[in-house]
Amino acid sequence: MTVEKMLANYEFEQWLYKEAQLLDDIDFDGWFSLMHQSLIYQMPVRVNKEGTERPDYTADMYCFDDDIELLKLRVDRLKTDYAWAEIPPSRTRRFVSNVKLDEYVPEQKASVNSYLLLYRSRSTDIHHDLISGERKDEFTYENGQWKLSKRLFIVDQTTINTRNLAIFI
Amino acid sequence: MLKTTKDIEDMTKAELLEHLNETVRPEEGSVPAYVLADPKVYELEHKKVFMKTWIFIGHESEIPNKNDYMLRDLAGYSIIVSRNADHSIRAFYNMCTHRGMKLCRADKGNKATFVCPYHGFNFKNNGDLIGVPLQKNIYGEELDKSTMGLKEVRIESYKGLLFGSWNDEVEPLDDFLGDFKWYLDILVGRAEMEVVGAPQRFVIHSNWKIGADNFVGDSYHTMMTHGSIAKLGMVPSATYSKMGYQIHSDHGHGLNLGTPNPDFAFPEELKNEFKANLSEEQYEVLSSLKNMIGNIFPHLSFLISHTKVKGQLISNTSVRLWRPIDADKMEVIAWFLVEKNAPEDWKRRSRESFVLTFSPSGIFEQDDTEVFTDITAAAKGHMPAMKGLTYNYTMGMHREPVEFVGPGVAYDDKFSEANQRNFYKYWLDLMNG
Repeated sequence: MTVEKMLANYEFEQWLYKEAQLLDDIDFDGWFSLMHQSLIYQMPVRVNKEGTERPDYTADMYCFDDDIELLKLRVDRLKTDYAWAEIPPSRTRRFVSNVKLDEYVPEQKASVNSYLLLYRSRSTDIHHDLISGERKDEFTYENGQWKLSKRLFIVDQTTINTRNLAIFI
Repeated sequence: MLKTTKDIEDMTKAELLEHLNETVRPEEGSVPAYVLADPKVYELEHKKVFMKTWIFIGHESEIPNKNDYMLRDLAGYSIIVSRNADHSIRAFYNMCTHRGMKLCRADKGNKATFVCPYHGFNFKNNGDLIGVPLQKNIYGEELDKSTMGLKEVRIESYKGLLFGSWNDEVEPLDDFLGDFKWYLDILVGRAEMEVVGAPQRFVIHSNWKIGADNFVGDSYHTMMTHGSIAKLGMVPSATYSKMGYQIHSDHGHGLNLGTPNPDFAFPEELKNEFKANLSEEQYEVLSSLKNMIGNIFPHLSFLISHTKVKGQLISNTSVRLWRPIDADKMEVIAWFLVEKNAPEDWKRRSRESFVLTFSPSGIFEQDDTEVFTDITAAAKGHMPAMKGLTYNYTMGMHREPVEFVGPGVAYDDKFSEANQRNFYKYWLDLMNG
């Protein structure tokens, strides 16, 4: 690995940490500003296959299937007084690890894989939810900043153990 | 004078039934809170409702080809539903008849035989035991394979919707659905429909009846719970949800039919297909349909929803099972259906609107699940039973049914609880069965 790529890997690690912080701090506008106009934000439904056949997720059904316009709608909705699913907001903690820079073209584009462990606690409920999975992200460089242009989140459960996905992955 | 009742925990089955008959009073608009969380009620419900009636197991389009199979749950038991060589669909309990191991663990696939991972017994997808490793050597001539076929499950279908039952004496599905079929024709019989992708699955800490209750007749909650949708301009106004009819039929089935709609909610290109599949009256209802939300007893809810997404109107059709896991826990399994012959772009937008509104991330769905969870939590434990806490189901009791073009008992707007009363009435009938 070249020093240049090591530094870039570090840069994307910091990007993902910052993203996690914004979401955990419920700064959705701040988070949304990290998105590129061409965004594809997807979370396919994971399925049980017979053997080691891959991919073991569906290519035609999603828990999230948003472009920038729909993601904006979700962010706007959370700011209405009726978004009960997140009133009061869940306490979340996003642990991002195993950050691996794959394709990298300086100041153009990059693809980054990482793992996400998301802890969610709501109100006085003693149950907490854990959502774990892999992110396959793509970034586009624009106006001196890396913006997220694609996220594919591969969740580790076929039956998701949380009451809803009123939170972002 | 009120008599002091025992703790439900200490009641015999007969005493519990008597208690249910005294306290569940749908005809008076009263249902006690404890029925949503009590473990003994849940246990009785399993035997008297879920083991007795028809339970949805999937859609025929999920296994279109010869030897396709899918694994499904029937009242807590894993079953293999498979399409045989002759294209008939059959279902079997997913248990090897030798030592009881599960034969199949994948959600779906394609194969003609199932081999047990324990001793290698293998079964054809028509249930026959066709192979036993070293049979002659270890059993001699004594093993009669013909007595060791898989346990077959009774299944029947209506317009592609597959139902199974463990009850050998269950009435024909046709009779069970009865008048309600008229509306199911609009839901899934209007055109050739297909399930797209795998069903969505997620777990909520909620009793299953809250989901059924919500879909069978509760359009009233949309003004408040789904207030955000009107704020975002996806539906005309918060009060639009009152317009239409509330309809129920025998066996606890019910729906709310939203109408009128100035726009045609379905693919225009398929008007001829719709006309060919529906009666004139049904087509008329379809043409002015804004939404249709209901529940096939006990826990298969369905929905046609017509909303504005990215400035364009689009509808989506889905069915969902509130699969009980425990008194206070259920798995939501939601299938998206679309007209097979619709233009690709229409299908894509319809799926997009389903994911946006009624998937785990759905902006309608997520606010419902928050409510379901808290209702269940509040119903738990001894206090709600001890203090006799009840829910009020009296809305619309002063109203008389109206004439409607379709069958069943209809009221001329959706804000009524007649459907919930009908649901609980049949539920209580079955509990007494």
